[in-house]
Amino acid sequence: MSRRFKVVSSAAAHRRKPVLEIRNLGKVFPAQRTCLSVLEDIRFDVQPGEMICILGPSGCGKTTLLRILAGYVKPDSGDVLLHGTPVSHPGPDRCVVFQEDAIFPWLTVEENIAFGLRGKRDWRNVRQQMVDQFLSLMGLSAFRKYLPRTISGGMKQRVALARVLILQPEILLMDEPFAALDAQTREEMHSLLLRLWEELAHTIIFVTHDVREAVTLADRVIVMGKSPGRVRQSVEIDLGRPRRQDTDRFHQKTKILHDLLRHP
Amino acid sequence: MIRSVNPNQGPLQILPWVIPALSVVVWVMVSEMQLLPTYLLPHPTQVFNAGYLYIFGTPGEGMYTGRFLPDVRASLVRVAFGFGLATLVGIPLGVLSGRLQACRRLLSTPVNALRAVPGICWLPLALVWFGIGLKTTVFLVALAAFFPIYLNCASGIRQVDPILLEAGAMMGVNRIRGTFSILLPSAMPHIIPGLRLGLGISWAYLVLGELTGVRQGLGAVIMDARMVGRIDTIIVGIILIAVIGRFSDTLLYFLMKCFFKSARRLS
Repeated sequence: MSRRFKVVSSAAAHRRKPVLEIRNLGKVFPAQRTCLSVLEDIRFDVQPGEMICILGPSGCGKTTLLRILAGYVKPDSGDVLLHGTPVSHPGPDRCVVFQEDAIFPWLTVEENIAFGLRGKRDWRNVRQQMVDQFLSLMGLSAFRKYLPRTISGGMKQRVALARVLILQPEILLMDEPFAALDAQTREEMHSLLLRLWEELAHTIIFVTHDVREAVTLADRVIVMGKSPGRVRQSVEIDLGRPRRQDTDRFHQKTKILHDLLRHP
Repeated sequence: MIRSVNPNQGPLQILPWVIPALSVVVWVMVSEMQLLPTYLLPHPTQVFNAGYLYIFGTPGEGMYTGRFLPDVRASLVRVAFGFGLATLVGIPLGVLSGRLQACRRLLSTPVNALRAVPGICWLPLALVWFGIGLKTTVFLVALAAFFPIYLNCASGIRQVDPILLEAGAMMGVNRIRGTFSILLPSAMPHIIPGLRLGLGISWAYLVLGELTGVRQGLGAVIMDARMVGRIDTIIVGIILIAVIGRFSDTLLYFLMKCFFKSARRLS
């Protein structure tokens, strides 16, 4: 539905009202006797339907930034505004897919996906329909009765994705969700994520340290620098989709990002 | 790859019975060779007969006939009350101190101090407080069963991966629901051994409570038999407690698996 909308969006987006505004965000962690500034003066806007990658070396505070956006960590300065209202708690409007395995090991694939709907919808058959729909979207229908310990890492992340997408979050926050997967599975997950994004038109903020992953996925890459963590530059990835990794323009973008990461 | 052996099939199935069977064989040999006088260790057939009379005999046939059902019922009621009380207090407190550092610090000193006191020390005090009978036994059983239940629950809750709670929070789970649908299931592999240990100790302290002159109960039978020197009946009582204790443990495990998905799937 919104794919066409999104194609036009890159330029038009800036004129629309942002879904998420990040204003002068700062975070300080206490270290031995001193304070370690983890994030300093982070500011950027996120447009509806945008896929943003936050790219940075490890230790630059990108996970902390994501945890602030999710509401798990309170910033020491600045605000996060979702549709103009400040974010204070975690909630189903900003769902997270974690890097680690965070699905419930005592629930089956199906029960994990339905977890967030429990107590929400009274209509059992409506709920079951939604679960069925997401099971088939994720290609997990055959594994609905399986327990997490019996499925692969890639499938677990698909369950983790499904259980939050079913809640129809405003924004999907992803914290290096595919970092622990092998290269082949990661590529499959990339195309799955892109397909879902086109179908469901979510706004996605995707944290990664992998340049190629960022260029493959993002509309815009926010490059962060280290100590203190700051936004170094915001790079538009104006490549058409689907993207092929063996084109010159892809390499060009990768090189720009690599250089940005290497030379402050 | 290592071939997995299903413990419910094949030669492994007899393993649980090897030691009991060997014990009986040794017992028979010792008795047949008359290595010990019968007033110390009666012959197995004598014990068997005493047990048969106790359990199945009609009143008047022997000294303890007809008492079996009331005895078992009395003992079961005491264990059930004591163990139930320990669970009702131990699990909520365990959850609280597993989650709240303040609660943990508040409870750790008194709990560890009380835990060091042997249960038998409470007996005189319990007799003064509650008199002879149900209340004293329930008090002793509950006190003894509380510690493993509480400690295991607290350590299980503490070890719950915080990321599971974070995942719950982002899906809009509040504290109450989080406790029942994330914390407790997640800590279940620790809670169950705590309950099983607690139930085992319950039987030990049941007998302690019943040694003090109550009229009914398996402990009372053992004590009565000691008074009149019926070693065979003492051994019958011991074996009955072992069998019932073993059975109640299996039943507890079975019930937990029936009622809790997490008990079924995580162990």
